Parts: sequence; C-alpha cells; structure tokens
Amino acid sequence: MRGQGHWADLVPDAELGRSDAQRLLRRLAGYLRPYRAKIVLSSILLIAQVAALLAGPSLVRWGIDEGLRNTAASRAHRFDVVTRAAVMYLVLAVLGLFLGRAVTLLIARIGESFLRTLRGTVFKHLMSLSMGFFEREQTGKLVARMTSDIDALQELISQGLVLLVQNVLLFVGAVVVITLLSWQLSLAVLLIVPPVYWSSKWFRRVSNDAYREVRDRISANMSTLQESLEGIRVVQAFAREDQFTKRFENTNEAQFESNLTTVKISAKYFPAVEFSNVAGTAIILGFGGYLVHRHLVTVGVVSAFVLYLNNLFEPIQQLSQFYNTVQSAGAALDKVFGLLDTKPMIVDRPGAFDLPSAGLGIVAEDVAFSYGTGMDLVLNRVSLVVAPGERLALVGPTGAGKSTLAKLFARFYDPTSGAILIGGVDLRDATMDSLRRTMCVVPQEGYLFAGTLRDNVRIGRVGADDAAVDNAVRALGLWDRFSAFEGGLDSEVSEGGTRLSAGERQLVSLARAALADPAILVLDEATSNLDPGTEQAVEAALESLMHGRTVVVVAHRLSTAERADRVAVIDAGGLAEIGTHADLVAAGGRYAGLFAAWRTHQQH
Amino acid sequence: MQGDDRERRRIGWRVMRAAIRPHRVWSWAGIGAGLLWTLARVAIPKLTGQAIDRGVDTKKYGNQLAMWVAILVVAGLFQALFTGLRRYAAFRLALRVETDLRMKLVAHLQRLHFAYHDEAQTGQLMANANSDIAQVNNVVLLIPLTIASTLMMISVIIVLVLSSPGLALFALVALPLLQIAATQFSHKMFPIGTALQNELAQYSAVVEETVTGIRVVKGFGAESRQIERVEKEAGGVFERSIAAAKLRAWFLPLIDLLPTIGLVGILWYGGHEVIRGHLSVGEIVAANTYVLMLIWPLRMLGMLLGQIPRAIAAAARIDDVLATDPEIFSSVHARSLPDGAGQVVFNAVTFGYGHGRTVLDELTLTIRGGEAIAIVGATASGKSTVARLIPRFYDVDSGSVVLDGVDVRELRLHDLRRAVGLVFEDTFLFSQSVRDNIAFADPHAPTEAIERAARLAGAHDFVTALPSGYDTLLGQHGYTLSGGQRQRIAIARAVLADPRVLILDDATSSVDPSKEHEIRAALAEVMQGRTTIIIAHRPATIALADRVVLLADGKIAADGTHEGLLETSAQYREVLARAESDGQSDGQSDGQSDVTTGVHPAGVRPPVAGSPIAGAS
Repeated sequence: MRGQGHWADLVPDAELGRSDAQRLLRRLAGYLRPYRAKIVLSSILLIAQVAALLAGPSLVRWGIDEGLRNTAASRAHRFDVVTRAAVMYLVLAVLGLFLGRAVTLLIARIGESFLRTLRGTVFKHLMSLSMGFFEREQTGKLVARMTSDIDALQELISQGLVLLVQNVLLFVGAVVVITLLSWQLSLAVLLIVPPVYWSSKWFRRVSNDAYREVRDRISANMSTLQESLEGIRVVQAFAREDQFTKRFENTNEAQFESNLTTVKISAKYFPAVEFSNVAGTAIILGFGGYLVHRHLVTVGVVSAFVLYLNNLFEPIQQLSQFYNTVQSAGAALDKVFGLLDTKPMIVDRPGAFDLPSAGLGIVAEDVAFSYGTGMDLVLNRVSLVVAPGERLALVGPTGAGKSTLAKLFARFYDPTSGAILIGGVDLRDATMDSLRRTMCVVPQEGYLFAGTLRDNVRIGRVGADDAAVDNAVRALGLWDRFSAFEGGLDSEVSEGGTRLSAGERQLVSLARAALADPAILVLDEATSNLDPGTEQAVEAALESLMHGRTVVVVAHRLSTAERADRVAVIDAGGLAEIGTHADLVAAGGRYAGLFAAWRTHQQH
Repeated sequence: MQGDDRERRRIGWRVMRAAIRPHRVWSWAGIGAGLLWTLARVAIPKLTGQAIDRGVDTKKYGNQLAMWVAILVVAGLFQALFTGLRRYAAFRLALRVETDLRMKLVAHLQRLHFAYHDEAQTGQLMANANSDIAQVNNVVLLIPLTIASTLMMISVIIVLVLSSPGLALFALVALPLLQIAATQFSHKMFPIGTALQNELAQYSAVVEETVTGIRVVKGFGAESRQIERVEKEAGGVFERSIAAAKLRAWFLPLIDLLPTIGLVGILWYGGHEVIRGHLSVGEIVAANTYVLMLIWPLRMLGMLLGQIPRAIAAAARIDDVLATDPEIFSSVHARSLPDGAGQVVFNAVTFGYGHGRTVLDELTLTIRGGEAIAIVGATASGKSTVARLIPRFYDVDSGSVVLDGVDVRELRLHDLRRAVGLVFEDTFLFSQSVRDNIAFADPHAPTEAIERAARLAGAHDFVTALPSGYDTLLGQHGYTLSGGQRQRIAIARAVLADPRVLILDDATSSVDPSKEHEIRAALAEVMQGRTTIIIAHRPATIALADRVVLLADGKIAADGTHEGLLETSAQYREVLARAESDGQSDGQSDGQSDVTTGVHPAGVRPPVAGSPIAGAS
C-alpha cells in the first residue's frame, strides 16, 4: 500500500498480439453499443468526407481531358467544362469542411462519453472491491489504471481516432479510384507500396524499442532529479552537491543519448519515404508517358495520378505514426479490463439481512485466517466474546495478529474457517450496508481528503448536514480548537491550505466517528508519536467517543489497555490470555510480563 | 506593466539565445542542409511539369521523357539526403538545449540555500520547469526547420510568379489565411489544453486520495461520496475535452480547406490560360504540387508563431530560478577550518525564519570541544534551529556562531559541512544500496568502515538480515525499512563521515526503546573525542549527555546536569513530563504503519520529449 509515484507508470507496455486485439475489440464493442446510431452516422459522414476529398484530382483529370486537351470541342465548351470542374471542386471542398466538422464533433462526443462512463465504471468497481484487494495491490498501480491508462485511451480518441479512420479510408479510396482510372498505371504505382510498407514496419519496430529506451531513461532521470530535490538537505549537509550534480549529469546525458537514437532512426526513415514519393512520380511519368503514347491513358489521367500519389503516401506515413498510440491504448484498455474482471471477494450473499439494532456484542467462534490459500495462518482457533457496551483491548507483539482480528470484526476479510457474529448474526449473512451503519473502523492516523475541515468530518456520515457535523465536533469538545483555525471549520485542509499536525488529523478522524455515531467502534491505535499539546485533546476526545459503545481497540500503548474493561493478549495467531487488567497482572502471565517491562521503561 | 512584459520578453529571448549559442554549429548545419533541401524540393514539381510537357503531353515520345525522369530521380535522392541531415541537426540542437537547461537548473537548485527550498515546493517547481523546458525545446526545434521552410516558400512564390503572375495569385491567395488559422488554433488551443490538464489533475487527485485513504473510505462506508466526486471530475474532463474537440472541429477542416481553394483557383484560372495557349498542362500540375508542398510549412510557421510567446515566457520563468542567487556560499576570503576539538560558541544569536517571529533571541551558549550536550525544550522552543545554524543551513540575523574560534560565515562551506554531521529528525535515504547510503559522505570508504559505522548505529544486525545485506536496494524500487531502521542507517551515515561535531536531532525518536538501549551503548563510543549535540525527549537519551540545556522562547532557561535540573527546574520537569505523556517514550514506534497521512504531494511529472516522429517535415 505504498504509493509508487508516477514513475511506475512509465514501464513500457507489452506488445499486443492479434488474438488479444480481437478479444479487446469484442469487449469494447459491448461498451460502445449505446452509441451504435451515432457510430453508424459518423461512419457515413466520414465516408462522404473522404469521397469529397478524393474527388478533387478526378475533377482535375476531367478538366484536363474534357476541357484543356479536348481540342475537337469548341472553345466556349472547353471554358465551360473548366469552370464547371472548378465550381464542383470548390463545392465539394466546402462540403468536406462541414462534413469534417460534423465527424470530428460526433466522434469526440462518442469517445469522450465512453471515457466518462469508463472512468465512472472502473472507479465504482474499484470501490466495490474488498479491503484485502487494496492491501495486496500497490497504490501506484491502481491509480495508474484510473489515470495514465485511461489517459492513453483519451490520447487516442482526441488526437488520432478520426485521422486514423480517415487515413485508412483515404488509402483504400485512392487505390480504388486510381485502379478505375487505369489499372495498368496503378499496378506500376503500387510497386512502391511494398517497400514503403516494409520500411514503415522497420521504422515502427526500431522506433518502438528506441522509445521504450527513452521512456526508461526519462523515468530514471526524473527519479534522480526527484531524489536530489527531496534529499537536498542531506546532500547539502554532507556537502555532496558535486557528486549529486554529477549523478544527474549521467542520467541526463543518458536521456539525451537515447533521444538522439530516435532522431537517428527517423533521420533514416523520412528520407526514404520522401524519396519513395519522388520515385512514385517518376514511375507515373515514365510508364504513364509510355501509356499515353500508346493511347491507353490520357494526359489528364497521368496528372491525376501525380496528385493522387499524395493520398497514397500520407496515409501510410500517418498510420505508422499512429501505431504506437494505438498499441499503448490497446495495452491500457487490456489492463483496465483486467481490473474490471477482478471479482469482489466480499459481497452480500443473496438473502442477506440487516444486523439487529440492539444487543450488539461481538463473538469470534473458533476463527482461523490466512491471507491466501497455502499461506501461513495468521490467526488460529481464536474464540472470544465482547459483550454489548464492553471495551476490549487487543494487545500483543507486532505481527501477532491483533490488527488482523480487528479487520475480521469489520469484515474487511472473511475468516478462513470459524465465524464472526455481531448481535448473534454471522457477518456473512448480514448486509454490508447495515454493518457499516453499525460499526466504524477508525484508523487513528487521520487521513485527510482535499476539501474543508467540515467536508473531512462529513466523511463519517455521507449526507450529514452542517449542524450534524458541528454537533459531532462539539460532542468531542473540539469546537474551540477547530474554530480557532483561520476560516474555522471551512478552512481548506488540502495542499496550500491549513496544515494540520498529526494530532489534529487524528482529532478529525475521531470527529468523523462521532458523526457516524455507530454502536460498535473498532479503533486502531496510532503507532506514531504525537505533537505535544494535542495528545491530551486526543485522549479526551477518544474517551467521550468510546462512551456508551462496544469498543475493540488495537492497543499499542499499555496505558490504553489499562483503561479497557478487559484485555485480550494475542500472540502468534492465538488468544494467549484474556481478562481484566487487574486479573491478568495478578495472574503473572504474558500480560503481566509485558506490563512490567513497559512500566520500568516509563520510569527510566 | 507594458515595460515589465517587454523586460520579461527580453529576458526570455536572452535565455534562449544563450542556450543555443554553444551549439550554434548545429543550428547552422540545420539551416545549411535546409537550404540544399529547399533547392531540390522546389525543383521537383518544376521537373515534374517539364516531364509532362516535354515527355508526356507531346507528340514525340522517347529520350526527352527518359531524361526528365532521370533528373527527377536524382533530385529526389538529393532531397532525401538533405532532409535527413536537416532533421538530425534540428532535433540534435533542440535536445541538446533541453538537456543543458535541465542540467543547469538542477545544478543550480543543488546550490540554493535551505530557506529557498523551504519556500519553494521544489517538486512543483521542477514539474513546472520541465514543462517550461519542453516549450523552449519545441521552439528551438522549429526554428531551423522553419527557416528552411520559409526559404522554400519564398522560392515557390518566385517560381510561380515567374511562370505566371496570375496563376501565382490564384494559387497563393488563400495560403496566408492558412498560416493565420494555424496560429489562431495554436493560441486558442493552449488555454483549453491547460484547462483540460488541470481537470485531469483534479480527477487524478481524487482517485489517488481515495486509493491512499481507502481505510477511511471503507471504514466509514464513504464509497458513494468518493464515487460522486470522481464522477463530477470525470464530467469536468468530459466538458473540457468537448470544448477542445469543438475548437479542433472548426480549425482542422478549415486548415484542410484553405489549400484546396488554391487548387480550385489553379484549375479555373490555369485551365482558361491553357486553353488560350498561355500555359501548359505540366505547369498546372506543377502549380498543384507547389500548393500541396506549402501546406505543412505554413502550418508549422503558424504553430511556431503561436508557440514563440509561450516559449519566451517559459524561458523567462526558467531564468527566475537561475537568477536566484544562493544566499549561503563560501565568501571570497573564506578560510579552511583550523584544527580544534570542536568547540561551538553562540554569541548573542538572534534568528527567525523569513518574516516570521524570532526563534532564537540573543542566545549565548558555549559548547566545549568534546562535550556531549543535550538540548531540551518544548515544541517550537528553537532547539532544532540551534542545530541548523551550526552547519550554516541558515545564517544568523545578528550575533555569530563560532566553530573552533572561527565565525562559521568565514569558513569554507565545504569544510564546515564536512566537519559537522547532522542526523535529521525526518530521515531521508536515497534509492541506492544500504552500503551507498551509509558511505554517502565518502563513496570510497572501505567495507570495514561501513560495517563499523553500521554497528555503532545499531544497524549491522538488521542490515545483514536483509535479502542482499549491505547491497539491498532501498526506496522506490527497493526495500522499505521501518522508521527506526531508517534512523539507524542515517546515524551510521553521519558516523561514517567522522565529523568533529555530531548533531542528533531527535534522531532516535522512531527507534524501538528496547533497541535504542543497544544503540545508546554504541553512541557513547561514537561520542568519544567529538562534540555531540543531542536533541531528544527520552530521559534515557538525554542521560547520554554530560550537560543539559533547557531552551524556552529562544533563550536558555536552565543549564546543568540532568539530575541537577530535575531537582532545581520545575520547567524542565514539566517539559519532560509532557514529552512522556505525549507518548514520546512509547515502545511501539518501530512498527511499520502503512497508512499514509496527509495529502499526497505534487508529483514531478516527466516531461514530454520533443518527438521527432511527431514533427512535420
């Protein structure tokens, strides 16, 4: 659960095979079904636009053959033909403008609506996944699914999709038109296509590798940079500025070199393409000239071919440039679908019912748990009872399983065997909704969301009004403290706003719980140190929050355990001892030992 | 304001010129190759026209056609050669400028004083700098390419006018509009693009905070609230994207249409002229090709004109950083540190951070060479500030800090910093191996020295238990240590530097007390023969010191031994008691906590490198 930053996102994507692509497309088609009508319409408009674009050279041919070179006809007729050709050309071009505009808008609407839905769908799905999923996955990866991966699709949709389809149509259309004009000449011209295709393919492959290298180098360079800035104080404290500058210089130059490699590749490819273009013209003129003299084609046809050559080359070039965009969009889509395929582990079973509203004790019945099949048991044969209104502290060494037990109470996981019952109901039979209403899990490391202080408290109960929030804050005796911020409860606590100390963040967390007002509280005590001055406030707030509720607290401080009704010592996945503080101390077992050690330390 | 803008533009241009100057060879090479390329490029349509007129559209068939086609092929090869060269030169220049600027910025930031880094959010700063550098890069790239393209345009106009002024007029009349449209498009797209980027950033922020704070979201069942927020932000992204699409939908088809108007003009006017016998079919085809040839250069010119103001503004912003002088540097007359035992003297030192309140108020304190002193005080009493003034992270406002008889401001900064070792409260380790982290002060330190330092810091045992021992990589792509383990590595790092004055600023606060006990014994050995300043709360740690100074309100409130102060100073007892009740002596802090607190920091986004593939010819 540690953020990996944006660097992890730069890892190059694997190439997508043909069968993957087909699978993706089929699935994508499902998402695009709602836009069927619009897709059909935009396809028609696009075909019309391409036809309008392709008509130009044919009109030039008509103008030349029927107008300029039609020496048999009258001058007036020839002028008339030229004028009509020009007017038609202009009309078609203007028509093309409007068609192009309509297509761009339509496709943007389809694509962006799809993305908007996808963003919402993926996020909703993510929210339905259980806590266990989030503990397994790296934060950075999950965030990347929602951001950089979907951004890759956005890139394709906003920059390339229209051009992509348009270019394919242009190429196909141009081939059809020139074949109709003269099959002999078009066969000769199409000789150029294989070398262009092969060199594009070479370019794609080589530049793919080169860009992967560039991405790696950029990411390495940015890591060095980020580190040299984050660690600037250490660097200066040890007077290592020169060494660090040198280190950055190395990665910086490496980035330059890898970029230069891509330049060298394109400096080979683009000349080849430009030359093929000229070679194509030469073939048209040489072979076309021969055909003209054999009276197989007209001068107008040869001229039209020269003009159509553009429509053959542009698409091949453009398509080879899109290849990477399409590839990474495909890979991104694959990963996003992968996330959507993750099944939530914890869902309401059919016929699940709400928890009762009173008599809410907690029972663990012979609970065993492991984080995955084949993994060691974290908890084994734990049975205990928390009476309604009782305060139970879980103590034990780090990693003994006390936090895991608390997570099972909150149904972040289901036990591997045995059962957890609340109010006599097995949690697996209860609705998640009623469990969340009944129980709050309060991680004391108060995490803040962007927004005001009030918004942050409101997280405790979505939809609570301002008065309810204020009351919760008052109930914990925090009103004066919170109103003392510049801007009071409306202070922005995000970046650039009021900075809250660790203790103040905990207070926000407690206020959330007070607003939620649950019958059962599960508290995970803070492990980190608090700033002086807030500790007392946290203690007081905690005390009033716990009042009148069933409480399970994962205690890291034995002073907390001392104040609980009973203490359960969890060690090596099992329940070692349970009883009141006084009884356990008197019994002279594990807890008595822990407590004695802690006391000595306190007094040192 | 006008004058200010002009001044900023002047600065921006200066930065760009200065960045290009060392590599002007490449800019000249690019322009030279561009000239030769232009020559071939302009000749080709003309040759095509000639081939049509003399080889195709003629009664005689034979040598004439073969000759013109051959010349055409040769011109094509010539063009291909120089198009490669000019691309290479232009991109090389742009990449070089980008690389240099980044280097310069980073080298400069490394030298800037602490106070600057406190103020500037450097992560954000560098993210901005990266996008600024990319802006400059774009323009530097386009300059040689555009010079060649402009020459090409001029040549084309000349060729067309020479063959027929009327035809030239019809062919070219719409083209200036193309350049204007491209400039306008670039201008108008920029703010929309920025707004879209902002929306995407806000959306990412909500996603990131939800995933990072998932315990809170799940714990309180607040999923619906976050879903609502994500949907709202996704809606924002949608709106902006559609706005961008609307702009594209106006301009892109228009940019496509404008050259077609020239083609129509050629067909109409040129056609009439051919019928009248004033022009040939070849010339019409050539004119058509010329117009098509001008599309990209004009679009590029338009883009360049749109980008230049932004690049200049970006260059001026880069200059803002470069023009910030380090406030703390070795003075010209700086002297090397004389031998000494590490005596530190504060003479009536007054200091405050920036415009804030006074933190130290005429503080006078003498720490004898080799002495171990503990500085104790409530939060914000100024104890960490004392630590930071000795290695000159900040300079005093008045008074002086003297190390072994020399005012620290008169010492060579490098000497001073090497003589003072400071272990910070918030430990920062680099994403390198454990070994490299400990040997930070001296990368060539022998293994024995590294292990000795680790032992003294109580780190050796857990380091050898790591997957690859001392070669275990830490950080982002490596192993994550607990807070207490990190602090012990940081102590080892300072021990290895073998400083004359060692400062431990709350350096063992996250170390499990049971383990701190082991470190304490080792620390006693480290402290032998050097001055040690300990800032701590735990009585056990304070007990390491020979002498304790209680700081309150930037002044010394009490001075004596731990036992002595416990007896005589109520204030001292109170500060210790509060520290204790605040859980400062709690024993569980070595445990790893995986809930990140606070709001995520702004990440440094990698820059988008100028892509040669996306560049137009």
